[in-house]
Amino acid sequence: MTTSIGSGSPRTVIVTGGSRGLGAGIVQSFLDSGDRVATCSRSETQAVKEWETNPDYAGRFLFRAADIADREQSTQFVQAVIDEWGAIDVLVNNAGVARDGILALFTDEDSDTVIDLNLKATIHLTRQVVRNMLAHRSGRIVNISSIVGLTGYRGLTVYGATKAALDGFTRALARELGSRKITVNSVAPGYLKTEMSHGLDEAQLDQIVRRTPAGRLGDPDDIARAIQFLVDERNDWLTGQVLVVDGGLTC
Amino acid sequence: MEAHTKMNDVQSTIVTVIEQLLERSNKSDIQVSLDSPIHGDGLGLDSLETAELSAILEDEFGTDPFGAGLMPETVAEIADYYIEGDGSNASVPA
Ligand SMILES: NC(=O)c1ccc[n+]([C@@H]2O[C@H](COP(=O)([O-])OP(=O)(O)OC[C@H]3O[C@@H](n4cnc5c(N)ncnc54)[C@H](OP(=O)(O)O)[C@@H]3O)[C@@H](O)[C@H]2O)c1
Repeated sequence: MTTSIGSGSPRTVIVTGGSRGLGAGIVQSFLDSGDRVATCSRSETQAVKEWETNPDYAGRFLFRAADIADREQSTQFVQAVIDEWGAIDVLVNNAGVARDGILALFTDEDSDTVIDLNLKATIHLTRQVVRNMLAHRSGRIVNISSIVGLTGYRGLTVYGATKAALDGFTRALARELGSRKITVNSVAPGYLKTEMSHGLDEAQLDQIVRRTPAGRLGDPDDIARAIQFLVDERNDWLTGQVLVVDGGLTC
Repeated sequence: MEAHTKMNDVQSTIVTVIEQLLERSNKSDIQVSLDSPIHGDGLGLDSLETAELSAILEDEFGTDPFGAGLMPETVAEIADYYIEGDGSNASVPA
């Protein structure tokens, strides 16, 4: 049985969508904390190539090109991690997509893309990982939702709906798994400097910064540190919560 | 390998897996036999323990009857799933 969360020994961590943006920051954070990290995305990036060839990460970084909205590819990815390292200690559901546009002009295709990845893919992948965590009775799950799921944002109805749904998923799953030493929490980031926020124009970004008590947009590192806190072995009494990390924007 | 030897291997592996599961759940006083009902008055597994059993069997054999949508009611019925070949490429780990 594995009880490897924290206590100095490396954990096995899955981060979905770790090739760039926030996911890449989360992967780096767990590589820095000495853990084994598996990630996937549809295409490989320079960051992935560097992790794969860096001797410091030899034997503790795994990448698979996979579209997790495709259930078969998602299943194969999780299986590859289990084949390589056995027990999964931490799952960070980070892969997500936003499509903006007011609902009245939104296409069904865009709705499907957003729901298929943010919600259905996350549920499918989590189910597989939960089965593994149940077999060894420990684990930490963090779902990356968004302040947009809490406050609503014009032009992000479907995206906001998936993020609010993820928070509901977090709470129900926390209840299901609490007795098995598996915690489930959401982190709801505010606006970050990643490609996803490139959909916003200069004026919108300026306005967000002006309204943010901390006076700046977020960095992937701001979020990664909050995740590290939630998955800490000692934090086994913290579950079913949504931790907002947004520089105070929504306070 | 003779059919009945294989059968015993599968059955005893499953009984061991269930005994370990019950031990983890502080229910090691419960006796496991082939005709034990899994739920209720038998082994009394709840849904979470059933999910754990399903996951552990999948780890062990590569496939499991619960995941395949079957609802075996006794320990023997779990073993039958593997013995009767539904668990296609199932093999007992050496
Ligand atoms: N950026 C923000 O301001 C912000 C704010 C709040 C919450 N969030 C949330 O944070 C998470 C990460 O956002 P981000 O800004 O880092 O996004 P991003 O820069 O667009 O990165 C998304 C990552 O997910 C991967 N991905 C996309 N579709 C995938 C699929 N079908 N299968 C597997 N991987 C896939 C991408 O790689 P490929 O394209 O190669 O597949 C990439 O690695 C998302 O859940 C997002 O909703 C972001």
